[in-house]
Amino acid sequence: MLDTISLLIIVPVIFSILFVALPKSLYKILAWAFFILGVALSVKLVMDGTGVVPVPESNFAILENIVFVLEVLVILFILAVSLKYKNWPTLGLGIISAAIFGYTYANVHGAEGAAFNIDQFSQIMILIVNIVGTAIILFATGYMDHYEEHRHLNRQKIFYFTMSFFLAAMNGLVMADTLGWLFLFWELTTLCSFVLISYNMDEEGINNGFRALALNLVGGIAFSIGIVLLATNYEISTLSGIGAYAGTNATAMAAVALPVALLCIGGFAKSAQMPFQSWLLGAMVAPTPVSALLHSSTMVNAGVFLVVKLVPTFAGTNLGTAIALFGAFTFVMTSALALSQRNAKRVLAYSTIANLGLIIASAGIGTPLAVAAAIMLILFHAISKALLFLCTGEIEHTIGSRDIEDMSGLINKAPLLTMLISLGMISMLLPPFGVLLTKWVTMEVASSNPIVSIFMILGSALTTVYYVKWLGTILSTTMDKNAVHHQKPETYFPLSFLGLCIVATSILVFSIYDAFIKPQVATMLNIAPSVTGAGGQFSSEIGTFAYALIFIVIALAILIYYATKNMFAPRMSSYYLCGENSLEKDRLMFRNGLCAYDKSSASNIYLQNVFGESKLTTLGYVISILLIVAALAGGVL
Amino acid sequence: MNSFDILKIVLVLIGAPILGCLIAGIDRKLTARLQGRVGPPLLQPYYDVVKLFKKDNMIVHPAQNFYVVIYVVFVILSLLMLVFGMDMLMIIFVYTISSVALIVGGMSTGSPYARVGSSREIMAILSYEPILILYALAIYLLTGTFKLSALSTLSSPLLAYIPLIFISMLFVMNIKFKKSPFDYSTSHHAHQELVKGMLTEYSGPGLGGIEIGHFYEYVFLLGLMFMFWSSNIIIGLLLAVIAFLFVIIMDNITARVYWQWMLKVSWSILLIISIANILIVYYFYFKPA
Repeated sequence: MLDTISLLIIVPVIFSILFVALPKSLYKILAWAFFILGVALSVKLVMDGTGVVPVPESNFAILENIVFVLEVLVILFILAVSLKYKNWPTLGLGIISAAIFGYTYANVHGAEGAAFNIDQFSQIMILIVNIVGTAIILFATGYMDHYEEHRHLNRQKIFYFTMSFFLAAMNGLVMADTLGWLFLFWELTTLCSFVLISYNMDEEGINNGFRALALNLVGGIAFSIGIVLLATNYEISTLSGIGAYAGTNATAMAAVALPVALLCIGGFAKSAQMPFQSWLLGAMVAPTPVSALLHSSTMVNAGVFLVVKLVPTFAGTNLGTAIALFGAFTFVMTSALALSQRNAKRVLAYSTIANLGLIIASAGIGTPLAVAAAIMLILFHAISKALLFLCTGEIEHTIGSRDIEDMSGLINKAPLLTMLISLGMISMLLPPFGVLLTKWVTMEVASSNPIVSIFMILGSALTTVYYVKWLGTILSTTMDKNAVHHQKPETYFPLSFLGLCIVATSILVFSIYDAFIKPQVATMLNIAPSVTGAGGQFSSEIGTFAYALIFIVIALAILIYYATKNMFAPRMSSYYLCGENSLEKDRLMFRNGLCAYDKSSASNIYLQNVFGESKLTTLGYVISILLIVAALAGGVL
Repeated sequence: MNSFDILKIVLVLIGAPILGCLIAGIDRKLTARLQGRVGPPLLQPYYDVVKLFKKDNMIVHPAQNFYVVIYVVFVILSLLMLVFGMDMLMIIFVYTISSVALIVGGMSTGSPYARVGSSREIMAILSYEPILILYALAIYLLTGTFKLSALSTLSSPLLAYIPLIFISMLFVMNIKFKKSPFDYSTSHHAHQELVKGMLTEYSGPGLGGIEIGHFYEYVFLLGLMFMFWSSNIIIGLLLAVIAFLFVIIMDNITARVYWQWMLKVSWSILLIISIANILIVYYFYFKPA
């Protein structure tokens, strides 16, 4: 198994070097190879099974030195760029990180050995990173030329280098058990995201890059203080060690609560929860594949990954309740913010933050079923969100805009693309798809805490609204913008592949649960959730989600539609415009009261003056910071 | 699935539209009497549907009738799930599919009238969906499961525990029946609007399909009210009748309001009383597992 683990880290690094070494003309072949290798390696890891894999002692000393050198390089890089761009807050945070690193090196006794911990959760994360992640890189090869042409850039070597390196760091992060190593991978993903967000090298890009760097450094500092506390007070140096120490013992749980809360804050920053959400919103200045990578398969998943891994240390405690409240609050607040946005990428960004909030809320609830829901939501959300982001990028190339209002009539201009993005949206808000199934589980398990469930109920209604609005717009036939539609295999293959993944994972949801989630939760909490999957139903003791029934009824509806279609021969007519249509110009033109021609139009409702960013953001900051302080206070007391 | 279940399914498939059609007929008759008219025959909604299916299938967008099929099929499914006492939260999600289908269907035509109507209907979702889910949550807090079949284990009828949610649900009925004052997405009354909002571009068989869907939907919605006293069929039916009369009277004594107004009412008064009711249930009746 150690071979597969090392390959999963080394292969992406090799590819990142290849992307730099080889000319642009070979990128497409490289990306296909990377995709195939990524799929093969991640499947291989799953076949290898689970277990803790110690690093052989002979290699440990060398690897430990490499880790040390890399950590120093990361800190030096942060200090150097913040000095170069005179970004003083980041420089300050970099100096604090350096000080903590120095303190750790001098005072904390180093670990005797290092290990990787491959459990079912790591396997799922590896599958997400290496299948969805490489599909995104493949999409990028059909996207970046056009993108750079518009902006007169020529930085693709750095782009592909960082994207591939990102996957390596992410693979390391989800497999490492030693906290020191985990922290290195953690900081490497922060660094990669900084490079990718500031890709355009304009003022906005660089500012947003620094914001991401600074906020994640805050999280990183909380993380490293947590590690120091764990090592000095409890001699814990592995992630699994924290869970083993806490066990189900209430006193031990209370003892490690403060370092655990600090690690969680690191996770919140990485997952862009309120009050850290601004970095993820700023990240959308980068090319779309970067957003897709950050939002679905890498970066933000690292945060929720860590929080879910820590569940055994706070399940059922006050800290757990505080975390559940915090996550549910972020969910409702960012869903409301998403409602007021016209910019498709901003809607998606808020939607990501909201779903991560939901994952954190389920982790905080901490019952076996809730933890199962959290892990499943990470998986389903990653696939759907990757598809949604990549489609948005392709739409932007097709119609030249990312404003939702400009997307009306897309079904006529790019039918396949519209079908794919519609599938992505429907999978986010309607049954029988996986995201909704997990949302259903989350809402059912949250129901024993009324405040958390009320937040979830409101957030869920808001989610329906902002997606339906967008869905209706792209499916409408109103024609406005000119479209240039280019179908390239390297862009449409990943899109269709992700679409298929959504349908396949939703149909196989119970098998996925049985193979991965159930054993994982059983090892984490010592009890498996009591869920049965007979008859295509996902049933727990409190409810039943009949997903197979819905799939059958959808098939039935399609059958009925095609069977009855020819019974009523359709006759096309024009819109009802009070008989004042002007058909020779446009189907939407009409003659107004002055006998001149006007174009009729209708737009969606955004409720800017209720849910707008200017109205809600400050409130969100205040409450979320209070909740974090409450979580920390709960940890100390 | 035994033969009794199949009989039940067949009964719902055939019986519900007949019942729904009669409900719609009574609605028109009563409304006419309230307005001092004689009104159409009781079976007028049936004659309308038959006539609609004989008309030409005029469309503005090739796929617009697909959404009608999705709407009808999923309304029927949510009604069946209600009859079989399945998971309430799941029923609400399935019912959302049908509402979304109608909204997207309206928008898909691209007509500006339909798009305005659909946008308003989306806002209606924002107003009523939280209340519906709070209703489901109350059922869980009282019985320990979301399954409607567990309601029979309660010692008192649901209404005794959640009267405030019942009041909110009356307004949800008003919104979902698309009756005045909340009929701004599409209205049955010509005096309320010149063009038929969300359904502007639907005519002939498409509109006929939507009307049949409405028949099932009426039964489904009143079924939700029936659940408040499901232990006694007579009183349960009485609650459904009260809800129906409430909707018709409200329809006739009020004029259409702005959608903003509805959102304000629902997110202030209705949500607050429902949440208050949930908290009462939580503190007095909820027994954690």
